[in-house]
Amino acid sequence: MGEEVFEILEPGPGATLQDGGRVGWRRFGVPPGGAMDAHAAQWANRLLDNKPDAPAVEILLQGAKLKALRDTWIAVTGADAGANVPAWRVARIREGDRVEFPKNHSGVWIYLAVEGGFDGERLLGSASVYARGQLGSRFVRGDVLRRATSARFELPRGVAGRVVDWQERRNYESPSPLRVWRGPQWDLFGAADREQFFEQEWTVSPQSDRVGYRLTGKPLIPSGAQMISEPVLVGSIQIPTDGRPMVIMRDGPTVGGYPKLCLLDDADVSWLAQCRPGVKVRFQLIE
Amino acid sequence: MNWMPYGPRALLFRFAETVGEEALARQRGIVTELQRHPPAGLVEFVPAFTTILLEFDSKVVPEPDQVAEELLERLEAAAQKILPPAPVKEIPVRYDGADLEAMAKAKGMTVEQVCDLHSAPLYNVYMLGFSPGFPYLGDLDPRLHTPRLASPRPKVRAGSVAIGGEHTGIYTVDSPGGWNIIGHTPLRIFDPARGEPNGPDEAMFRLKPGDRVKFVRI
Repeated sequence: MGEEVFEILEPGPGATLQDGGRVGWRRFGVPPGGAMDAHAAQWANRLLDNKPDAPAVEILLQGAKLKALRDTWIAVTGADAGANVPAWRVARIREGDRVEFPKNHSGVWIYLAVEGGFDGERLLGSASVYARGQLGSRFVRGDVLRRATSARFELPRGVAGRVVDWQERRNYESPSPLRVWRGPQWDLFGAADREQFFEQEWTVSPQSDRVGYRLTGKPLIPSGAQMISEPVLVGSIQIPTDGRPMVIMRDGPTVGGYPKLCLLDDADVSWLAQCRPGVKVRFQLIE
Repeated sequence: MNWMPYGPRALLFRFAETVGEEALARQRGIVTELQRHPPAGLVEFVPAFTTILLEFDSKVVPEPDQVAEELLERLEAAAQKILPPAPVKEIPVRYDGADLEAMAKAKGMTVEQVCDLHSAPLYNVYMLGFSPGFPYLGDLDPRLHTPRLASPRPKVRAGSVAIGGEHTGIYTVDSPGGWNIIGHTPLRIFDPARGEPNGPDEAMFRLKPGDRVKFVRI
């Protein structure tokens, strides 16, 4: 076990440990999981010279409060929740300091990384918490977080601070078009429906979580074909019988029987993940 | 057999047109081949009733489409191989589910008849999904085919044995669920505690795709 580094004073609506996810267990019904916004989580780790896929704390929206149990370097990235530490750059905090995320301004998922990476129980090769599947559990008040002791981060002398380049950040409130590939059931949909999918702006629904993001707009005409359940990849855009797209996210089902019009490109799964309910998104086909 | 791309890194092969034992035999042949001789760059595979997904490492296989035809030939040959029968795993069941009586009534049967029909066959595990280790079991007696509940229950407890459409299955974790619950097993079908804390361990999963299942009344 590593050194105690933080105590959870308030977990907020859903704080978990997430890394790069688990590979090779989907045939047993276990989704890959991992950081919803892999891009932000990897940057938080990179700032501290951790492995990009090291476990980081993933915090939902706002309200979380943590207390430092020792002096350490940290990095906060992802959603803007008015943190009392600077984001997208390394920060030094002292024993007894609090790190708080009082109010969400943009984005959905916040990442907190610590020098050395957080320590977590690895199940099926990953420390990612998949609460619904009983692989780990969400943080509760009083939980103590530990860090791996193998690595030590030293900010090079004379450098003001490590910062993530502006070009690597993105406006979570008005995202660029999200890029998609053709899905396995592309041909089941008529040309008019496909056109409608790409021409309209879709709104992220409040019914969105680590399993899937629902989109509202003018519904598509669902394909009438009865499908035999088949494997489903993260990023798949399913069109269920109500015609409202459901994008399969990192804790989503491994098999399913709804037609899949498109597959969101892996990089853009991270961008969609940061779109709060009400945010408008468009899709663009990768030819 | 045919194939289609599923994004830039995966291929979906369709090895059968209809669900059944013939399709499962082909699936087992393909899975055995993939386990014994994994193609270069294969990250993982996911078998289902009539399809199997192969996902590749894009550093090793940048364009899966280009290896698809060659793979299809290999998988077709593997699908035709005759394998020894899969292991039979006994699952004890107490037939005391919340939907058992209503189901029997709707079908004009006694509860006893439903239990007899459900525990008679040797079922096949066609695939795992829905939750970790959840087995989709067939072939259920057509007299027991029952549509899912109109509105799913918010919580079905782990160990519940249930019928959904043409399949029967066992809930592996407490979760919402819309299948008709007919009984319970005291066995843990998915048990994170059985896994090694620091590494992959298939021991967490009592049933594997292709296994056969016999329900034993208790």
